[in-house]
Amino acid sequence: MEEQVENVGRSFVDHYYHLFDTDRASFSTLYQSHSMMTFEGHKVLGVDQISAKLNQLPFDQCRHVISTIDSQPSSSAGGIMVFVSGSLQLSGEEHLLRFSQMFHLVPTPQGSFFVQNDIFRLNYG
Amino acid sequence: MDPDAVAKAFVEHYYSTFDTNRVSLANLYQDNSMLTFEGQKIQGTQNIVAKLTSLPFQRCKHVITTVDCQPSAPTGGGMVVFVSGNLQLADEQHALKFSQMFHLMPTPQGSFYVLNDIFRLNYA
Repeated sequence: MEEQVENVGRSFVDHYYHLFDTDRASFSTLYQSHSMMTFEGHKVLGVDQISAKLNQLPFDQCRHVISTIDSQPSSSAGGIMVFVSGSLQLSGEEHLLRFSQMFHLVPTPQGSFFVQNDIFRLNYG
Repeated sequence: MDPDAVAKAFVEHYYSTFDTNRVSLANLYQDNSMLTFEGQKIQGTQNIVAKLTSLPFQRCKHVITTVDCQPSAPTGGGMVVFVSGNLQLADEQHALKFSQMFHLMPTPQGSFYVLNDIFRLNYA
């Protein structure tokens, strides 16, 4: 069970940041109407607003490099908490930004997961 | 009560307990609680408190920089809280930077306990 949670966490993280770095417009597949995101303290509710926010970030290209992934089951209903830390390279920027992010994943009837909660913070030096 | 205010009050209580009376953290966990501390997984109040009270420092002080919270589901009263800050250890010159997430669940008595707890130091 524990390994399964770890595997889901890792697969999700790979998928999420791959989408972010290559096809940000596809993010709508990961969120639903009651999903919540807090991005550097700015709260956003629902898939449409979240997609809009992520698509409007002030850079065209970026690359996430993940350092740590920690996962735990969040409840008996199959939810998973995922805690990520890593670096973010923006094209044209010399220095890497460091960040932490947490996701609360909730299972869908189709057997995958959507993001119910998403909180992102840069880690300043 | 405003969820942001609840989260902030919980965070202040958690770190003040950690910094002054670490063994009392037992009141904030239950048998199904899980802690991942720098990648090490621990389950249940007793094991969690044993881990936290055996950390290799006597005194410490957490200084919180950011607290973000969200309800963890449309119903049920659970909250996710995401914290970043500095950890000053007595006798250490440089503060350590950390991030931590809590998943809080309501108790019948009207307070919260920590169901999920994940802690990571943020290295430069």
